[in-house]
Amino acid sequence: MNMVFLYALVGVGLFCLGLHALIMHAHLLRKILAFNIMGGGVFLVLVALAKRTEEVAPDPVPHAMVITGIVVAVSATALALKLMLKVSEETGNAELPDERRE
Amino acid sequence: MEIVFSDVPWGVILILLPLAGGMACFLWPAISKLLGLVTVSAIAVSVVALFFQVRDAGVYRHTIGGWGAPLGIDLYADGLSLLMLAITALVGLVVSIYSTSYFAEPLSSRYWPLWLLLLAALNALFLSADIFNLYVTLELMGLAAVALTALSGGGDALSGAMRYLLATLLGSLAFLFGVALLYHGFGSVDIAILGQRVEAIPIVWAALGLMGAGLVLKSALFPFHFWLPPAHASAPAPVSAVLSALVVKASFYILLRLYLDIFGPLGIEGVESLFGLLGCAAVVWGSVQALRQTRLKLLIAYSTVAQLGYLFMAFPLSIISGPAVWSAVVYLAISHAMAKSAMFLAAGNLLCFGGHDRIADMDRVVQRLPVTAGAFALAGVSIIGLPPSGGFIGKWLLLESALTQENWYIVIVLILGSLLAAAYIFKVLGYCFTKAASPHEPRTVPVRMEWAAMLLACGAILLGFMAPVVLPTMNIGDPFIIGAVLP
Amino acid sequence: MEEMTLLQEIFDGLLGLGLLWLAWRSLACTDMFKAIVLFIAFGLLMALAWLRLEAPDVALAEAAIGAGVTGALLLSALAGLTSTGASRHEVEQPEGVEKQTGTLHRLPILLLMLTAALLGYAVLSLPSHDPGLSAEVAENLASSGVSNPVTAVLLNFRGYDTMLEMAVLLMALLGVWSLACVESQRDSSADPILDMLTRLLVPLLILVAAYLLWVGAHAPGGAFQAGSVLGAAGVLLILAGWRLPSRLTGWPLRLVVLSGPAAFVAIALITILIGGRLLEYPTEHAGTLILIIETMATLSIGVTLAALFLGSSPEHEEKQ
Repeated sequence: MNMVFLYALVGVGLFCLGLHALIMHAHLLRKILAFNIMGGGVFLVLVALAKRTEEVAPDPVPHAMVITGIVVAVSATALALKLMLKVSEETGNAELPDERRE
Repeated sequence: MEIVFSDVPWGVILILLPLAGGMACFLWPAISKLLGLVTVSAIAVSVVALFFQVRDAGVYRHTIGGWGAPLGIDLYADGLSLLMLAITALVGLVVSIYSTSYFAEPLSSRYWPLWLLLLAALNALFLSADIFNLYVTLELMGLAAVALTALSGGGDALSGAMRYLLATLLGSLAFLFGVALLYHGFGSVDIAILGQRVEAIPIVWAALGLMGAGLVLKSALFPFHFWLPPAHASAPAPVSAVLSALVVKASFYILLRLYLDIFGPLGIEGVESLFGLLGCAAVVWGSVQALRQTRLKLLIAYSTVAQLGYLFMAFPLSIISGPAVWSAVVYLAISHAMAKSAMFLAAGNLLCFGGHDRIADMDRVVQRLPVTAGAFALAGVSIIGLPPSGGFIGKWLLLESALTQENWYIVIVLILGSLLAAAYIFKVLGYCFTKAASPHEPRTVPVRMEWAAMLLACGAILLGFMAPVVLPTMNIGDPFIIGAVLP
Repeated sequence: MEEMTLLQEIFDGLLGLGLLWLAWRSLACTDMFKAIVLFIAFGLLMALAWLRLEAPDVALAEAAIGAGVTGALLLSALAGLTSTGASRHEVEQPEGVEKQTGTLHRLPILLLMLTAALLGYAVLSLPSHDPGLSAEVAENLASSGVSNPVTAVLLNFRGYDTMLEMAVLLMALLGVWSLACVESQRDSSADPILDMLTRLLVPLLILVAAYLLWVGAHAPGGAFQAGSVLGAAGVLLILAGWRLPSRLTGWPLRLVVLSGPAAFVAIALITILIGGRLLEYPTEHAGTLILIIETMATLSIGVTLAALFLGSSPEHEEKQ
């Protein structure tokens, strides 16, 4: 089951890559991209580890969870993008004022 | 009558009602105020019915779809969830009445569907016994809260909402990662089943770290509180009330549940001490910052940061005094919900009255808006922790535990916190008596809005007398005995 | 057989590395447009990864929603940003550069690498065989009303989650509509190629959506995949300049948007009223009920996604 753990580790890597970009970059669009990549990482962990069933088809429950997660992610992305556009309209640039590195 | 009561799944109704109500308000914006009030009243009635059901029949567990965990999702209500549902319904009802006067078109028809769906998310959250389901409710709640925060549309509100959205999404994502690890470690996402299967292996520590970090961020524990003051201060007043009173408590509730049922039994003294430390820091930092504010809503928001610290201070105390300390925490949470929402509604009245919320420019408020000033003062009594009030009972229980355990740091912080709270409350009240440097023409504040604030403030005080009712209710189903939850 | 496994391992390795590389490039790129395009490519590689992991339902959803709709939303937002004057390139912050001095710059990266290592260790400590809940699903599949296990979980065993998730999608639309309209200069210059492509593709997409919906009961597919293909058709129509006639933008549009979650809530109420538990479908009717929910859901997901792309509520569009 090398493949399973390979993809799961890629998922962990994506989560951390996204987290780094989320914290370090100020541009809102980039933060939104970072969120989506982090989400993708978590989904990879969920689905990859679902394939640890021996010989039979993979566990369908994580697949359903990930489909739910994808829809939630697109909903959040849509709201975030619209909010970003409004912030940019008000403040003139697509970054939050007094951005503090947390 | 008894048969009717016990057959009806009141918990399910609590979730379906606001969902249906919110969708109806979306479809018929013209009658959204009426629909909203009807829905919220029906929710209040259902919570009362659920209370009777749980009191008589014990803990309420509903297996959705008939499948039962681990395959299906379960709804679960014990004393703790019941109290959270009750406070949600009560604060929700009063805030709704306030909102009918506060919002004019076009904001009003946008507000009601968002608000009702937020209520649905809160109810679903407090009733859920499944951690993936909790993730979905957290997301629903978060998106609704963000949309409501941005409703007033100014630059501050939009930036505050954006920062809030980023924080809440990060918290949810970390939480989801934890859910994924727990599922793959133990084959279920049901809290009761996980509680039985969990052991001290690396996957659990990873899940604890992730879920803990995510929930702590959502609960604005110092130093992750940066998103709260701008969001709560720039939202419309009734939204600020709900955010500080309910939304921020919801993620704390999940943290508490996971701690009591899954992670606590593993013996995590380091985490408990860390929470205690950060809680103390939150109380001191939040109170000092509140004292420094020149705008009323920011002051109240920083006060929320401080009050949330008290909730976390209970963790190190709970190692020895378990249930007593958790009773204190829940008492503090529900009293704060009443008092803080009263304060934000009062601030909303002052904003409506004077067009601004600068503390120094409060112009003879006591003379001209006595009900609002009174509401603020009464709410302040609970926040400071003076008797008689719900806040006093909560702090007293915490103090008692800290004294018996000789945890002097916590005792000092408790006393200091109350002193600082008294300082900023009296600062505001002081300005309310005086004439402002530049007096302005007052605008009338609708009677409904003033009395809504007063009602909630009185509720916070009344809680001080209701310990004989509240404390036993809290303990239905023994939520605070670690590991007692049975599937 | 040995070479097949080796080939597969190399393919998986390359795919995994490709995912990480694309993610890194997308997040590090200063040109936003390039970043988004790289992200869309990342999404398509993810779809491939889902296929390798035997998750065709997820692959369909990822390709349509994750790469497709999300990509369209991102590009549209970027266009909105540049039209409000914000730069397409991320401005290099002078203070940002100052902060990155020596070890202080390294600290976040080191902390994250430590986190990654700890998480990776936790993941690797899991047993290499674990059936999860697949046995329980297989046992109850026959009484669920469908034969695709993922659809059974989504619409029956964990249908309550799906109901709330539809509320989340609705919530996003409510939120987007409640934020007042952004001033956008939408180019409505009729592009003949786009026009022709739309005329060809939209009927095809609708057909594919209907197929995915129908086939979801026993093969990979289902409401979300179908709904997102329908949403893609909507996005194409919007790009080609088509708008709903104004008599339909009031409550008829809202009704369609609500049809998915409303159908779910209605069926939930019915299951309570007939004395059962929430969402407990009577076994003989389970398949029909699921099909009804899925059909309404497909419609509302499609319309909601297209409306999210349009970004402003129809009343606001008219005022422009």
